[in-house]
Amino acid sequence: MLKFILKRIAYGFFIILGVIHVVFFLFHALPGDPVQMMLGSRSDKEAREAIRHELGLDLPLYEQFAKYLNDLSPISIHHDTEKNQEKYAYQKLVDLGHHALVVKSPYLRRSFQSNQRVDEIILENLEGTLVLALASMLFATFFGIIFGLIAALKQNTFWDHLVISTSVMGISAPSFVMAIVISMVFGYYLHEYTGLPLTGSLWSNDPLLGRQLQLQNLILPAFTLGIRPLAIIAQLTRSSMIEVLSQDYIRTAKAKGLNKFAIVLKHALKNALNPVITAVSGWMASLMAGAFFIEYIFHWKGLGLKTLKAVEMLDFPVVMGATLVVAIVFVLINLVVDVLYATIDPRVRLT
Amino acid sequence: MAKHFETLFKSKEEKEIILSVKNLTIEFSSDEGSVYAVNNVSFDLYKGETLGIVGESGSGKSVTSMSLLRLIQEPPGKIKHGEIIFHSKKFGKIDLLNISRKQIRSIRGDEIAMIFQEPMSSLNPVFTCGNQVMETLMLHQKLKRKAAKENTLELFERVKIPNPVETFAKYPHQLSGGQMQRVMIAMALACKPSILIADEPTTALDVTVQARILEILQELRHDRETATVFITHDLGVVAEIADKVMVMYKGNVVESGTVLDIFDKPQHPYTKGLLACRPRLDLKLNVLPTVGDFMQTDKEGYITSISNAKFKSVGEALLNNYQVENEHRAEVAEKMKSAPILEIKNLSTEYMQSKGIFKKKVNITRAVNDVSFEVYPGETLGLVGSSGCGKTTLGRSILRLIEPCNGAIIFEGQNIMQFSQRQLRSLRKDIQIIFQDPYASLNPRISIGEAIVEPMRVHKLYDNDNERKEKAIELLELVNLSATFYHRYPHEFSGGQRQRVCIARALALNPKFIICDESVSALDVSVQAQVLNLLNRLKAKFNLTFIFISHDLAVVKFISDRILVMNKGKIEEIDYSEDIYNKPKSIYTRELIASIPKGNIDDIRKAMMRRKLRDKNKGNRLSA
Repeated sequence: MLKFILKRIAYGFFIILGVIHVVFFLFHALPGDPVQMMLGSRSDKEAREAIRHELGLDLPLYEQFAKYLNDLSPISIHHDTEKNQEKYAYQKLVDLGHHALVVKSPYLRRSFQSNQRVDEIILENLEGTLVLALASMLFATFFGIIFGLIAALKQNTFWDHLVISTSVMGISAPSFVMAIVISMVFGYYLHEYTGLPLTGSLWSNDPLLGRQLQLQNLILPAFTLGIRPLAIIAQLTRSSMIEVLSQDYIRTAKAKGLNKFAIVLKHALKNALNPVITAVSGWMASLMAGAFFIEYIFHWKGLGLKTLKAVEMLDFPVVMGATLVVAIVFVLINLVVDVLYATIDPRVRLT
Repeated sequence: MAKHFETLFKSKEEKEIILSVKNLTIEFSSDEGSVYAVNNVSFDLYKGETLGIVGESGSGKSVTSMSLLRLIQEPPGKIKHGEIIFHSKKFGKIDLLNISRKQIRSIRGDEIAMIFQEPMSSLNPVFTCGNQVMETLMLHQKLKRKAAKENTLELFERVKIPNPVETFAKYPHQLSGGQMQRVMIAMALACKPSILIADEPTTALDVTVQARILEILQELRHDRETATVFITHDLGVVAEIADKVMVMYKGNVVESGTVLDIFDKPQHPYTKGLLACRPRLDLKLNVLPTVGDFMQTDKEGYITSISNAKFKSVGEALLNNYQVENEHRAEVAEKMKSAPILEIKNLSTEYMQSKGIFKKKVNITRAVNDVSFEVYPGETLGLVGSSGCGKTTLGRSILRLIEPCNGAIIFEGQNIMQFSQRQLRSLRKDIQIIFQDPYASLNPRISIGEAIVEPMRVHKLYDNDNERKEKAIELLELVNLSATFYHRYPHEFSGGQRQRVCIARALALNPKFIICDESVSALDVSVQAQVLNLLNRLKAKFNLTFIFISHDLAVVKFISDRILVMNKGKIEEIDYSEDIYNKPKSIYTRELIASIPKGNIDDIRKAMMRRKLRDKNKGNRLSA
């Protein structure tokens, strides 16, 4: 098991390296000038050149890339100056004269726009995204499995048809429409009854009390975001469950004298879960990056919104940083899922 | 002697009745209408007795057994009427069809337990074997985990599982089929049921394993006086284990009686047909009698006429098809005078498991290990051995469907091992293969006519599709299927019909050589007889050469001129079919022959004597 995890982490490293390549070169192929975005269209040429030089944007592309990798790498070579020491906060390993081989935490650079450190920006926004994605997936998984179970057990009855038709609706409704409808209905028209706000983030800044956790703000966006995965999980659970219930070992379980409850929850569900886990992990990963509409409409402070704005402004370090973090989360989720497969189904061998 | 047996059964009568089924009728409805899967079936089961229910697929034998525990899916199934009176220890005399769900649940697995056909799919893959047996104990006997575990280990020992402690923690997929079935038996016997229902418990297993499982069942029955309902399509197995036999056909009981009566004096033509169509080890037959020789049926298989049947008794049928051994031997010897059509020299095929990043080759399994033999034109070479002996790998290696690692395969003077991919493709025209599962080897979305035309098109046989279609229709008729079937799809056909389609498809390319890989193993005995006869007829008509691979020595012996016995990748022996049976040289072959249920009267008598003797001994022990 441990060997498998280590191996997968090594693979993950290569995946992330690939991601860095692709995003870096893709982004530089985009038309537009980040420096102009920083200074506005009325800036003069010298100022632009000066900043371009400072950011290293005048260097050939491969050199820029090498420098970026050097900044990212935990073991890297830098000019051994006080300025760099402050910038990277490194520990010197080997002194190479002017340069030094150092160990440091990856340096994601600073935003072109706000000059804030990118790792700080990500840290600030990642929490909101993670909490939102987790909450909506928990909601979707829990209710999805329950609805799927009901549909499978009451196959071809009213309840089955209800679950299926509702889930088809849930799958086909575009999330931005659902987001607007839900926020309007529950956050505005029914506000008196629900007490839920139209918009808001996980934290609020109260002038007197400081940072306040605002969990009620989570409900509507998490619900909206969870609708589609919920519908898909319900359908998957249903079809997988129906198949498992027709297996011979379910007949064996019945012949043992177990009651329906034990048969379904113990013998069948464990066998039916694999496709569901695949779906959950896929959605979890995509919600990390794709919750932009929801974040936008509910004014939820999160990584998706931040990244989108950064792309708009050609704020290269922020985009790179956010992509990297999402890629790492993807890799980790996949690893967790593979381990889960093996714990649930002993026939799956980790190699 | 006869008197002795009468008293034997008299004494049975006095025994306690434990279960009696009266006028049970079960209907299955679908969009196309409804059928009576079980029609007015009645029988009694006595304490400690084994009742064999025999029938082919669709006979209603499994439905009957499932209904005893109310395990039939409703819908589509529905119990129309009838009663199943069970003498329960807990509830007294009850009708199983008329008790609450809670009551039936407390009977399932406790007083009536069941073993199923496919141990591989009947055990839950995600729980350990021990866990699944413990579950029953904890459920019905309210044992705590520790006590349940101890009991389970005891049960494992009882059913002769080697290393009970290890097996306890293993998952089903880590065990062999025989071991899994032992776990199933342990599970069924956990609560000492008064009735054990065994639904084809040995059908999916090798003969040698089957023999051991049957032995275990016999012993357990004697130790515990468990009444057993044993369902099977194999009359040979029934002969070994049953006291009474009930023969079912199309939902009806056509005949029932003691095992001796059924085998010695079968009354119903269907029973006679079933008895006659089993390939025999002791006689050499030209053609296998089929059920159709004893009775005529309509399209749905209902019996229409028995008056103008070809044969009236089993003996007559055998006599009419009997072949003198020496004649046959002379024929084979004649064939062996010509040059071999296929020569295998020192062929080996290995399976490898790779490990690590650099794909180090470890765990080499030699599935075929240095095998050499010849096949002569016009003969059928039988290839027999238990599962895992390498016979299928050998069959596929000959066609290089699995790449052998060394040796030579010389077909008509050319070494196939040196063929390029293109040469191999054109070779497949001359050598065809018919697989085991006719359900899986036909594409469900291609009509059977198209399935036969396709290989002709691929190998550019005939000028245009019209000619190919004509040829396909001709082939369909050759394998006794109607030309009107051309546009139909595989799901509309039964297993036997599908296998005929597969045969027609193999013949489409006018091959010289056909490899049959367990081609009749998935078929009912009566259908198997028809397909075997068909293969023999085609062999004579087109002068084909066959390699016939099967685990069933009786089938191989019927169809083959010579037999090659394989064990653990090596050839045990190769000889004339008759000699293999009459004068087996290797220990392995002898074991193989010994474990085949023969179903002849003497063996049945012996088995009954043994049982009687044990009962007596046990009685003495008890009284002492």
